[in-house]
Amino acid sequence: MSLLKSLGAESLFGDVSRMDKRQFFYQVLSFGMIVSSALMIWKGLMVVTGSESPIVVVLSGSMEPAFHRGDLLFLTNYPDEPVRVGEIVVFKVEGRDIPIVHRVIKLHEKSDGSVKFLTKGDNNSVDDRGLYAPGQLWLTKKDIVGRARGFLPYVGMITILMNEYPNFKFAILGILAIYVLLHRE
Amino acid sequence: MTQKKAEKQDDSQEVVQINKWDGSQVKHAIDDAFKTALMERPNCKEHFAIIDGRLFICFLAVGIALFALGYDYIYTFPTSRPVLIICVTSYFFLMGVLTIYTTYIEKGIFAVAIQSDGSGKTIKKWTASSEMKKYDDKYTLTLSVKDSKNVRELSSTKSCANFIDVDGVVCNDLISAELKRLYNSLNNAEKKDK
Repeated sequence: MSLLKSLGAESLFGDVSRMDKRQFFYQVLSFGMIVSSALMIWKGLMVVTGSESPIVVVLSGSMEPAFHRGDLLFLTNYPDEPVRVGEIVVFKVEGRDIPIVHRVIKLHEKSDGSVKFLTKGDNNSVDDRGLYAPGQLWLTKKDIVGRARGFLPYVGMITILMNEYPNFKFAILGILAIYVLLHRE
Repeated sequence: MTQKKAEKQDDSQEVVQINKWDGSQVKHAIDDAFKTALMERPNCKEHFAIIDGRLFICFLAVGIALFALGYDYIYTFPTSRPVLIICVTSYFFLMGVLTIYTTYIEKGIFAVAIQSDGSGKTIKKWTASSEMKKYDDKYTLTLSVKDSKNVRELSSTKSCANFIDVDGVVCNDLISAELKRLYNSLNNAEKKDK
């Protein structure tokens, strides 16, 4: 067991220990570039869809049978496309970080363009007024993160797992990071 | 299989042991050995311009990404949209530049040495580049020399088994013998032309 460990560790750190300054700097930069590429793709999606969170995971079963816990949702938030009754929107209540995925059931539109929505989960028996901030009876455009445009089933379960077991998340990310940093090209 | 520990030989050249079945590790180990052998030629000093170019492009790209991250954090999304657009497009543009740079300018070059004539004046630039296909054992070394008059180059394709022994230890003496052979024949070819 210790022989295996020393075998693996030897070749893992051997590469790095033989690197000169420039090669080591390039290893760090390669790792940085992988992280940056993921970051830039996410920011790019934000810009293209107009939503601050273009991909969300459904966390509860309040929209069954349309969406189940663990589904991945793709959102858009174009300012020139008005939200209509019957559409599924993702919104954030002021003071809470977690986005909620429900359907718009009532809508008031003023002549100056401002709108108020009321939402309700398909699988809930009451509307969302209980979820809104105290004193808030309607949602406005600025609470909306985006409208659901497409979905992928089950893929979001990984995110739910990683949030419920943060050690698992750090372990996976840590192993990936170490692999990229120590493996030469 | 017993594991040999890395030892320091008397001439202070470290014995390098690698996993002989890992193609990319083998190529890197042989490249490093050839680079050391090239720098041992009289009056040769390593020149880092090409590597520095690549490092600079990568550094710039990561810098742009970090800037976008910070800016978006301070000025949340809708206000930061124009800056994000600029950052994302310039990041992917730099990725394209990097790919072009590594494919056309760097091209497998792992060592560049500037040889002076003893008094500090540059007379020759030696460039070593190598190629080894992914699951192939044939290692091609190309040594080229550029002086004030012309450019000459010589290649040699051998199995990497010629440089690494059965335990995965890189044989530095075999490497320097091969490099000396290419170096001398390039020098002699030049003398013949003169």
